[in-house]
Amino acid sequence: METPARIRNRVLQPMNTLTSFLTLLIFPAGVTLILMGMFYEWVDRKLVARFQNRVGPRWFQPFADALKLLAKEQITPAIVNPYLFFGLPIFALAGALTAALYVPLFGLTPPHSLTGDLIITIYLLSLPTMCIGLAGWNTTSRFSLIGATRALTQLFAYEAPFLLALLGPALVAGSWQISEINDYAIGHWLILSQPIGFIVAVIGLMGKLELPPFDAPEAETEIVAGALTEYSGRGLMMFHLAKSAELVVGLTLVSAFYLGGLTGIGSFLLKTIALLFFMAILQSLLTRLRIDQTVGLWWRFGAILVLAQILVTILLKG
Amino acid sequence: MSIEQKLQTAEQLLAPWNKETIRPEENRLDVVIQPEALHEAVSVLHEAKWGYLSAITGMDMGVEAGQLEALYHFCNGPAITSLRVRMPRNEAVVSSIADIIPPATFFEREIKEMFGIEVNGLAVTDHLFLPEDWPIGVYPQRADFTNEQAKAMEESHVDQMPEPGRVGENTFVVPIGPQHPALKEPGHFSFTVDGEIVTAAKMRLGYAHRGIEKAAESRSWVENLYLFERVCGICSHTHAMAFSTGVEQLAKVEVPMRAQAIRELVAGLERVHSHLLWLGVAAHEAGFDTLFMYSWRDRETVMDLLEQITGNRVNYSANLLGGVKCDIGEEQSKAIKEGLSYLETRIRHYLEVVTTDAMFLNRTRGIGTITAPEAERFGLLGPTARASGVMRDVRVEAPYGAYIRYPVSLVTETNGDLEARCVVRLKELLVSCFAMRSILDNMPDGPLTARMPRKIPAGETVARIEAPRGELFYFIKSNGGEIPARVHVRTPSLCNWVSVLEKAVGRQLADVPMLIAGMDPCFSCNDRVVTVVDSATQENWSWKRLREYGIEYYSR
Repeated sequence: METPARIRNRVLQPMNTLTSFLTLLIFPAGVTLILMGMFYEWVDRKLVARFQNRVGPRWFQPFADALKLLAKEQITPAIVNPYLFFGLPIFALAGALTAALYVPLFGLTPPHSLTGDLIITIYLLSLPTMCIGLAGWNTTSRFSLIGATRALTQLFAYEAPFLLALLGPALVAGSWQISEINDYAIGHWLILSQPIGFIVAVIGLMGKLELPPFDAPEAETEIVAGALTEYSGRGLMMFHLAKSAELVVGLTLVSAFYLGGLTGIGSFLLKTIALLFFMAILQSLLTRLRIDQTVGLWWRFGAILVLAQILVTILLKG
Repeated sequence: MSIEQKLQTAEQLLAPWNKETIRPEENRLDVVIQPEALHEAVSVLHEAKWGYLSAITGMDMGVEAGQLEALYHFCNGPAITSLRVRMPRNEAVVSSIADIIPPATFFEREIKEMFGIEVNGLAVTDHLFLPEDWPIGVYPQRADFTNEQAKAMEESHVDQMPEPGRVGENTFVVPIGPQHPALKEPGHFSFTVDGEIVTAAKMRLGYAHRGIEKAAESRSWVENLYLFERVCGICSHTHAMAFSTGVEQLAKVEVPMRAQAIRELVAGLERVHSHLLWLGVAAHEAGFDTLFMYSWRDRETVMDLLEQITGNRVNYSANLLGGVKCDIGEEQSKAIKEGLSYLETRIRHYLEVVTTDAMFLNRTRGIGTITAPEAERFGLLGPTARASGVMRDVRVEAPYGAYIRYPVSLVTETNGDLEARCVVRLKELLVSCFAMRSILDNMPDGPLTARMPRKIPAGETVARIEAPRGELFYFIKSNGGEIPARVHVRTPSLCNWVSVLEKAVGRQLADVPMLIAGMDPCFSCNDRVVTVVDSATQENWSWKRLREYGIEYYSR
């Protein structure tokens, strides 16, 4: 005999599955995120171009680039492990897309939320860099090897300070859950009370995305395209999309934590683009750092300053 | 010390080996010595600090004469002493002087490849300019060379791996070029790196070698002017100026003052164009693209001015043998002055940027430092030398043309690092702008050209002109005919390479592009028979066919 609860389950289960699929593939993650990633990439390129006195690309350029790469032949070097070679771009993109499920994209409540999802998101965001590092090691090209070494060295440099910078808001909100921190931040502009944390978080995000001045892992004048030198076609496209998705997720995270929380689509667009504007200024103003200078900067200044700030936060809170 | 005294000192120094002394021109002394005596003679000149080795010219006196000559030119201010080594054609051997003067190695490799003069004791014997599969025993600049001889060897080593990828447990070779984003022109460097640290450096040139020196020997004096203008796209005027100055010296033609002033003016604008271009490239190599974009935008101003004066943006073609083609009118004078005021404010701004921007200084200050004694030893030229405090500028040391009337002051820095090289170049531009203003304010009247004979009297001459990158050296020989017997071009970039290779070792790979850019290398200058292969028919095009094609193409 069927109980009402069972009937409800039987009727709603397929719908739940359908909703989950839609959430994953179309909205808010999946296709929407990829399109958003392209849009933000365009905004970034256009802003930097305008700052550099150039015209910059038209709005559909990132889309055209992705389409072009899809149509192109993918060359597989003879020496690589093919599973890794094809698998790594997929992992990178999957990591970045999954991370989006835990952040308040468009100012909406995240589709998935659990205690400690901040840690999950941070690790998922590191996945693309790890994949790029492995990809460089796998292709064994000399430029790729140096690029991979640099990418991973840089990862060790910014990861801890970046984590600490996100820890500050978590501490004052008293939660490890992103949606709860967002709710707390709506009433509190943490950029005012934790300015160092904000700066470190923004610069950490630029390090993660290998944007100038942290583009030593792909410094074209030295090592061509770094770890991705041997990639072409679909693989390269996926790595690019992973970067763009990571950009959106990272911007959402930092603006939710530090810029007074995200309440709706309006505040989402305003705050993330304002943040991107700030990052574009930094990109145009700064000269590329050598890898030893990057590491020095993070461990000598970034980590210590943000630790001091956390200490102050704990003391004041306690 | 006057020129005469300098030359007498040199003559006394070289007395023990001197077989014969020739005074071809007022400022030149040719001392004929035996090949065996070369090494000693050079070391005596070097120890006495009599000038610096500027170039080694190879010459084939022809099959009948059966002799090859190598001329070692030493410059000391305006005075030039050339050691003339005469050798039989079939066994031409000299000993290397690279142990005394390191940059000589490139000159020696050039005469070895081009003339087949065997150089004993040369450390590196790989080809510098010629392709790897070039037939053994064929020397392209010898008088009896024919195109048929230039067939590639059947068993070429091109198919072999040119260099190992991995050379040790943690060390491997990073190839930069011939196609690489850091290089705007083709050249090849291989850097052995241990992690990020460079442990050895090697280079190879010749990817843009067009055999211009050989081509010059089959063209009339006038045609050659246009040929030499195309040695380099950035300093085309300087090349044309050096060639015409040399030919005018041989013909003993006095160029009108107005023409000389216009030559200096165009050279000044060219310097602005070249240095701003360089600043952009250097900033790009360091990863500071904003400075790159801005300096190239401002460079447009000077390109427009050059276009307004000469009608061309790149190969200006302002020179004629005996004068210049274009006049500067009131209107142009005004436009140039306006352009200069704008450029001066911009240059001052960039000077501030390169000396105060902390992030850019991270990549330039204290990097690739060359001390003054090192600069002397490496035989550096131009702004690279002046950044190390070496007073070396032909415009000041041995003023030529209008530089006597409108002098420029010497700009030097003492630090010798990449920052100093930026500063020297930018300050030099301000000096150039000042000189250009004084030319415009006191423009001499007179004709633009002097009459040149069609046949140039027999003789040899040396023309030294300060190009944006340093001293440009032309050796021109005429047999009294309508075409030159030999033109040798030594460009400043060739002298500056040694410093890059020496300084890269021990530095990080990330600094290497900046070190290469720091001396402002010009590959097409270094590498001077266009072979156009029609891909459909696989047929080699002759010069005539290429010319017809050009006419056909443009008349469409």
